This record gives sequence, structure tokens and C-alpha cells, in this order.
Amino acid sequence: MPTPTLSPTLPPSTHEFADIIHRLEAGGSMLPDSPENLKQIIGIYKAYAVPMDFYWRDLLYIAERVFLNPLPAFKYFISKDYLDRPNAYAGEAGSPRVWRGEDDAHPELREFIAQGEAGRKLPRIMHHLWHGRINMEFAEACMQSMYWHEDINPRFNAYLDSDDYKANADKAIRAYFKGNPAMLGLYKLFPEVFLEKVKQLSYYSNLGLFWEVMAPVFFEMSDLYDEGKLTTVPEAMDFLVNGIFAVAGRPIYHQVFIKGECYEIIPKSEGFTWLYEAALPYVEAIFYRTAPFRGTKSYNAQANEVPRDQADFHYGILYADLFPVGSAGIPPTLLMQDMMHFLPDYLVEMYQANSRGEDDILNQVGVTFQRSMYNVTSAVIQALRTALCYPLDDPNPRHLQANRDFFEMQIDRFKRPEARLRDIQKTSYL
Amino acid sequence: MLSTLIWLPLLGAIPIALFAQTAKQSRNIALAFSGAAMLWTVWIFSQFDLASGGLQMQEFVSWLPVLGLNYDLAVDGLSLMMIFLNSLLTWIAIYSSSSDIERHRLFYPLILVVSGGVAGAFLAQNLLLFFLLFELELVPLYLLVAIWGGPKRAYAATKFLLYTAIAGALILASFLGAVWLGDSFDFSYQQVLQNQLPLVSQVILLALLLVGFGIKIPLVPFHTWLPDTYVAASPPVAILLGGVLAKLGTYGLLRFGMGLFPDAWALLSPYLAVWATVSVLYGSVTAIAQKDIKRMVAYSSVGHMGYVMLGAAAFTPLSMVGAISQMVSHGLILALLFHLVGLVEDKVGTRQLDQLNGLMNPTRGLPLVSALLVLSGMASAGIPGLVGFITEFLVFQGSYIVFPVATIVSVIGTGLTAVYFVILINRTCFGRLDSQKAYYGKVSLTEHLPAFVLAALVVVLGLRPGWLVQWSEVTSASLVAALPEVEQVQLAWQEETSKENISFARQVPLDIALGE
Repeated sequence: MPTPTLSPTLPPSTHEFADIIHRLEAGGSMLPDSPENLKQIIGIYKAYAVPMDFYWRDLLYIAERVFLNPLPAFKYFISKDYLDRPNAYAGEAGSPRVWRGEDDAHPELREFIAQGEAGRKLPRIMHHLWHGRINMEFAEACMQSMYWHEDINPRFNAYLDSDDYKANADKAIRAYFKGNPAMLGLYKLFPEVFLEKVKQLSYYSNLGLFWEVMAPVFFEMSDLYDEGKLTTVPEAMDFLVNGIFAVAGRPIYHQVFIKGECYEIIPKSEGFTWLYEAALPYVEAIFYRTAPFRGTKSYNAQANEVPRDQADFHYGILYADLFPVGSAGIPPTLLMQDMMHFLPDYLVEMYQANSRGEDDILNQVGVTFQRSMYNVTSAVIQALRTALCYPLDDPNPRHLQANRDFFEMQIDRFKRPEARLRDIQKTSYL
Repeated sequence: MLSTLIWLPLLGAIPIALFAQTAKQSRNIALAFSGAAMLWTVWIFSQFDLASGGLQMQEFVSWLPVLGLNYDLAVDGLSLMMIFLNSLLTWIAIYSSSSDIERHRLFYPLILVVSGGVAGAFLAQNLLLFFLLFELELVPLYLLVAIWGGPKRAYAATKFLLYTAIAGALILASFLGAVWLGDSFDFSYQQVLQNQLPLVSQVILLALLLVGFGIKIPLVPFHTWLPDTYVAASPPVAILLGGVLAKLGTYGLLRFGMGLFPDAWALLSPYLAVWATVSVLYGSVTAIAQKDIKRMVAYSSVGHMGYVMLGAAAFTPLSMVGAISQMVSHGLILALLFHLVGLVEDKVGTRQLDQLNGLMNPTRGLPLVSALLVLSGMASAGIPGLVGFITEFLVFQGSYIVFPVATIVSVIGTGLTAVYFVILINRTCFGRLDSQKAYYGKVSLTEHLPAFVLAALVVVLGLRPGWLVQWSEVTSASLVAALPEVEQVQLAWQEETSKENISFARQVPLDIALGE
């Protein structure tokens, strides 16, 4: 592991995590650079990208096609159109072409949809009931988290409350329920309920569009690693940083297709962008905050076990105790379950060699995922530093101090006892 | 035929001591010989005549007739149950011992010597032979605790040695008295049974036996060696100590205390019932206060052996069957508990209740061990459907007619058993596993195997208690039949103690000195 080079013009940091601050200042990641860590994070990126390829497609399918279906029993049974839908960042037509692979659904995803856990072709409903499916519960939990922590996406939320948005939504709702007096009557009685549902569907679209970018990024990283072109953790982080800037200005929008007609609920012309209206709120909502997941621990809000202020929520992947993962039905467990189906062989072998073998594979996948998300967060911090502060090799000591202040401010959030930053520094954290 | 059970383990000790190169080899040889002994036990079961209450399959070789010592073996319903327990638990103790144990060429032979010696003691029909074999297990066990034990093993082993040596001396004194006061030098059990000793002599000799075997069982207040020794002993040795060796004490009381001194037994039975009840309550209440699981199980053992004593004190046919079955049931449950505690200690590194938590966790805890721990706790607490229930119920059902108050108080003891097992299970298995510390090794199927075997017996014999009690029913009935009515003995006692100028304490040495 290369030793982080200290800036010659600044004294050593006195921060609790001084080593990590110095590493960030040297262009590194919060995750220590080691072949083992690289193997873990790249392996899990690939395993994450396959279900993510389904998540974004289904999120857009729900936002654009299922829409306000009062009985959306089959919303996870994605249509062929959406499985074939070209990813805007992959394939020959991808612009920018992030992944050199095909732009439709990943082959492993298609195979899993066809074969499920049973390993043979069955009607899709059978696979679904037999848990041979991609679990959308995690994706929906992420969407809800982004929607609920409304303070982190002020411009987007302000638009959701605007008259323009209401008018667009109203148009789409009326078109969707045309010829359905019962639903139209309900809409007349409780318009806010329907509007609220549409707002949520806008977040489905927001998250779907965010992940449409991330899936090919992760596929490409996995391919580069396999080709020997990604050899260090900082290189992996830099790839993410570059990717963030490459797609930062891509539009975030929400459109609905009703009877062949497209209704623009959030038009692209509103200027919502991938970085500011999707990526940064996503990181804050999912990596840092989320919400205490039901089923893992009982929280007593009256005893102040849950913070009063949403900004103080720290239940995200960077803080999560992944130990309870394994309880049936909770979203993080279902994500681990999804990733488990697509692990590269080298990760499976690594897990098998650990103390409990494959018995606790969901926990081990969770911990690996946590490491990889610290690397993604590092990329976000470096990208923000690039946007808000100064280059790392800036000769001006005041600028370097500003960079350090920025890094320290970011790392301050991991001083909390439940933060796993300390843990991921150790290889023994499994 | 019965000799095989003694000599097979002893023979097995020789190749291990001389030829075994690795611990694995030693273990495999020990498993082979103990397994063969177990199969032989099964064969003995198949040959056993259920209708006969007397001794069967007798073997006799004249050894030292001048001393009255002969190689005299036989089996009845009582000893049959004990040799079953011994064979099974020896195999399980060997199986559950670590495959890379140090000084394996000594460890396994010692276990086999203990097993052979104990089998011989259960089968011996000569008082001196019993005593010799009873003493034979003392030194190997001392070494097993002192060499392979945990912290404080030297202290525990020495304490065990001292207590058991004193117990041996008292037992020998009682045996000598029983033979010599009968004007005989033949230590054959059947011969000694013919001796008609005065009631006062019987009471004194029984008292010696009660203290001697009371130490071995142990009963309060002779129990203080037990928690220290159980805690210091490694799990396989603890299985042998609690599962089999403790039964030498109860077996001795039933065979010799009750058999040789029936009048005194009948006379003292109300006091024995009180003593049993005190043991039950003391063991249970003390167990509640423990923080170390092994120590808790050790005190629970004191309580559970009290039930055996209660059943024997009541000496109704039902309570006797209950007492004998309780010995087997306790042996199985205790072995199961010690094996599981050994697994917990091996994987987690502690037995302390205030450090253990959340072992039921399905992915990183010890879920199957926890489930079996719950099962064994339920069995020990006498939950219906498990073997502990049926044996305790037999004791209570049988003893209630004779000692209702002692029985009811003992029933409260089972409630207390449930209390400490709930504490144990709640603190050990439930709660949240600490993710910072807990990444325990996987418990393999082979490590679970002894627990599966024992748990299966606990459940099957709980559901079909007939398969357990049928072997000892006739023997129990014949043991009870040999005992007189309590009132009759009490009258005799009053008569004897009111006779003028009879000072037994003075008379006995005089008689012996004169050789009369």
C-alpha cells in the first residue's frame, strides 16, 4: 500500500482520522489501498450492477407505465420493452459510452429472470413465489428514503410543490383514469393523495435515471479489473470521480406513457441534473441517513432512540451494523440476497474461506458492500472537493488548508460511534 | 461375557499407549474399543431376561479366597442401566474430545481405564472387588483433571482426590464392618446379604456408606468438590464425571446401602428424604446464583441427584424405578449439557453468562447448539415429552404416598430448575449477538453428532419411557420387596436402643478384638 504523501506545506492533521485525511489529500480513498480491498469492491460492484440493471429498468417501468395502477400486483413483472430498453450509457449508441457491453439487460440478469433460483425455466410467477427474483423492495426503500428526507433535494422538491408540476400531474392522472369514473371520483375527493403518489413516482423516475448511469459504470469497472487495467483502490475511485463529472449534467425527468401518448410530468427542460438532483441526494439519503429498518431492532422514539431531526439520522450503509442482515424481508437483506446471485467466483471463494463459509454469506456480502460504498463516498467527496475547493496539487497553502478543512468536515460525520470507517480500515472486519 | 466390558477398554488402552503416533490415531483406536464395548452392551441387553429380578450372566473366578476376594460379576436391572450409561458416555466423551489433544497416548488410555473400572464396579458382586474397581478410577480421573483441566485444575484435582479417597475409606470401613460383624470373611455380595446384623450396627455402617457415597454423588454438604472439579475438568472428563462417576454413588447406595442394610435404610428413610429435599433445594437455589454455565450445571447436578435419593428413600416400586431411571436420565442430560457447554466454550471462548449473548443468531451464532441447549434445559427442568419429565414424575408419583411434604418441596425444586435454565438460555441464546466481537467458528456436523445422539435419546425415551423403565422394573420390585416396613423397624429400633447395658460403640471393638 503506498504511503500517503503529506503536503509539504501543511503540518500533519490533528484530526481523529488524520491518516485518512492525509490519504484523501494524497488523492486516495477512505478505504485503504490493498489488492484484497480492490478485489472485494470490484467484485461487489459487479454483483451490485446486475440487480441494479433490473432496479433502474423496473423503477422507470413503474414510474412510466404502471403509474397509478390501484392494484399494482405485477409491477415487478417488468415488460420486455423495458428489459430491451437501451441503456443511455452503454452499447454502441451510448452517449457517453460508459460500458463497452450491450445496452439492453445484462445477460446474467436475463438468465436469472429465466432460470431463477430453481435453475430451470418456469413460469415467471413460479420463480417470483420461489424467491427466484430480483427484489425491488430495496430499490423502493431507497426511493422512499430520498423522498422522505426532503430537505436534501430542495430544488427538486420545490418543483414537486409547484403549480406547473401539479398541472402536469393532473393532466396525466385524468388521462390515466379516463373512462374510470370510480377513480376519477376518488381523485376529486382526495386530490392530494393522488398527487402525493405521483410525487413518489417522480422519485421512482429520479432513482431509476440515477441507477441507469451507475450500472454501466460498475460493469465497466469490473471489466477493467478483469483486464488488469484497474489495479488500485484510488484508480477505482478516480474512475468513479471521472464518471461523475462525465454524466453530472445529464437530465433528471419524469414522463408517463398513457395509451401511447407521452405526458411530461417533469420535463427535461426544467434543468434538473444527475449530479445535483439525483446523485448527491442519493448519497445523503442512502449512504448516510435512510431510516431505522423495521425488523432489525426495536427503537423507542419516546426514549429519544430515534433523533428528532431527520438530518441526524445515520442509519445508512456507512453506519449500518450489517450483523442483523439475514432477517427475512428487510430491504438490506434483500439487496444482499440479490447480489449473492451474481457474485464473481473470486468473491465466493473468499467468502468460503472465511470462518463460517457460505453460512453467513449475506453478512459477508454486506460488509464487502459497505467497504465498496466507502469507496464510492470517497469518490463523491473528491468530486465535491473538485467542484467546491481546489486541486490536490495546488501550490497555495491556503487552498490546501481549505481542502483539508473540507475533508475534515466530511470525515467528521464518521466520528459517530456507529460509523464503520474505523472497521473498514481493518482486514479482520468481516 | 460381562468381563468383556471391563477388559475391552483396558485392552484398548495398550495399543494407544504403545503404538499410536498421532492424536487422531489414538482417538480412533479409543473410539473403536469404546464403540465395541458399546455394541457389546447392546448385545448384553438383547440377552437380558426382563422377567428375572435376580442376577444374571454371572461370572466367577476364584482370586484370593483367603481374603474373600473373588472375581465375581453379574448384572441385574440396576447395573444394566448403569453399564449402558457408562458405555454410551465413554464413547461420547472420547468422540467429543479434541482431535489434537496433547499427550494423547496418556489421555485416551486413562479414559478407557476409567471406563473399564467403572463398568467393573457396576458389575462387581464382591464387595472388595467393587471397592478395588471404585478406587481404580480415582487416580486416572485425578490425572485427567490435573493435566487436561482448565485454570485451577491442580486445586480441583487435589480436592477431588482427597474427597474421593475419604469416601473410599468410609465405604471400605462399612464393607469391612458388614462382613466382619457377620462373623465372616467372605466379601461375596450374596454371602454378605445373608448376614443378619443388629439394627444399631446396620445404622452405623449405613451412616458410613451414606457419607462415603454421599461424597461421590454428591449430596449436600459433601458436595463442595463437585463445582470446582466439574469446572476445572475438560468437557469430555466432565461428561464422565457427571454422567457416569456420580452414578457410582447412587448405585452404591442402592446396591449396598439399601441391599446390605435394609432395616437401617427403612429406619433412616424419613431423614434421607429430608436430606434429599435439602439437596434438591440447595442445588437448585445455588445454581440460580451462578455466572459460569458449568458451575450452574454442576449445582443443578446436586439438585437432580437429590431426586434419586428421594426415590430411594421412599422405596416404593414406582419411586425405585423412577430413581434408577432418573440416574440414566440425568446422565444423558448432563452429558448433553456438558458437551454443548464445551462447544460454546470452544467457539466463543467463555462460559460466563454475563459475557454470552445472542447465540441463537442464525448466521453467526451457534443456532443449532442453542436449540439443543434449549432442549436440554427443558429436559432438565422436566418439561413433558422429554426424558427428564418422566423420570422425575415417576419419583414424585412414587414418593408422594410416603413423603408428601418432601415430595412437594422437591417439586418446587423442579420449578427452580426451570428458573435457572431460563436464565441460562435467556442470557446465552437470546438477545443480540455483538457484531464487534462475534465471528465464531462454525460448528461442524461431526461436532454436533454426540449432541444429536443424546438429544435423540432424551426425546425418544421421553416419548417412549417404557423403553427406559422396563429394564429395571423387576429389579426395583425385588429391591423394594427385600425392605421391611418402616413402622416395624422403628419398633425394633426402640426395643434395641432401650435395652440396658448395651453399648454398641463399646461392644463392637470388643467383639472384633476377641475374634467372635
